Amino acid sequence: MIHWATEVSDDWGDVLAALTHAFEASRAAAQGAESIVYVVHNDDLLGRRGPGKAMLATGLLSAARTAALEGVKDGWTVNVVAFSEGADPETVADWADQLVASSDVTGELIRVGPDHIGRALP
Amino acid sequence: MVTGAARGIGRAIAEKMAATGPLTVIGVDLAPELALAEQLTPVQVDLTSSDGPGTVREAVEASGLPLIGLVNNAGITSDSRLVNMTDESFRSVLEVNLGAAYRLSTELALLMSDGGSIVNIASRAYLGNFGQYNYSMSKGGLVGLTRALALSLAPGVRVNAVAPGLISSEMSMGIPEEVRDKMVSSIPLERMGTPDEVANLVWFLLTPLSGYITGEVIVVGGGRSLS
Repeated sequence: MIHWATEVSDDWGDVLAALTHAFEASRAAAQGAESIVYVVHNDDLLGRRGPGKAMLATGLLSAARTAALEGVKDGWTVNVVAFSEGADPETVADWADQLVASSDVTGELIRVGPDHIGRALP
Repeated sequence: MVTGAARGIGRAIAEKMAATGPLTVIGVDLAPELALAEQLTPVQVDLTSSDGPGTVREAVEASGLPLIGLVNNAGITSDSRLVNMTDESFRSVLEVNLGAAYRLSTELALLMSDGGSIVNIASRAYLGNFGQYNYSMSKGGLVGLTRALALSLAPGVRVNAVAPGLISSEMSMGIPEEVRDKMVSSIPLERMGTPDEVANLVWFLLTPLSGYITGEVIVVGGGRSLS
């Protein structure tokens, strides 16, 4: 299951709805032992596009790390792809496809684009 | 202003600040046994209710004092594996741990026109913790909120997060003893932390001693993130 974070506003109800949607899709995937990839905007991991988008992206990253731990025994994986502004959508999608097919890489954050260099590690 | 101030880490923070004076500490909690130190004013409110943040704001304004610090500490757990997690378990943890902190920060930041410091109590679980998809997501979200507010409220208000590991509190006492012992055995400092050890860092982040620190997450975990 590949889940692209939606463009949420700064309204809490909007953020909760997006987090809930990700949770429901992830639970269904996990119940079917299906691997998961979340795709987020790199700027949102650093809070650069406002609190709503930041809470969604960093919430998904942390949830991915926890779900990754839970999937180890059953052989499913959870990873995150974060893309910089202007990144080629096809390249982002390729990374997501590659990760969702992988049984060896889990709990990882892959960045597409250079914007994270020299900035805080999320 | 400290939320979740009746017990555990929140209580230690409120008492540490009250002992520091001269200032008035307003402690928010649902619990009636909220500590009543001389410089600690209790407010009982459900922070997830629509009028919760406004009620807290009114309490601050009624004090007639400038607001210089906010600690978003209130938090709950409702653990289970992702495959078994219920909708209610997910929603309640997100509402309390993240939604309430966001709405209260937005409401009270308006009162910090002369500058201030916000400290969000996240958790080391933002790095991932088995059986805590909801809690981990809420604390990760709190980290993102910290970064976003650090940018939007600068230069007047600093915003940081503290991520405690295994701390001796009511919340950790709910963990089965054998599981807790196993967790302690994986901590390089070979013990649980104390609420006071978290409060000391929060105090530092609230004061001008940390005046050049904003947007950071500091783990208080006895080295557990390395082991």
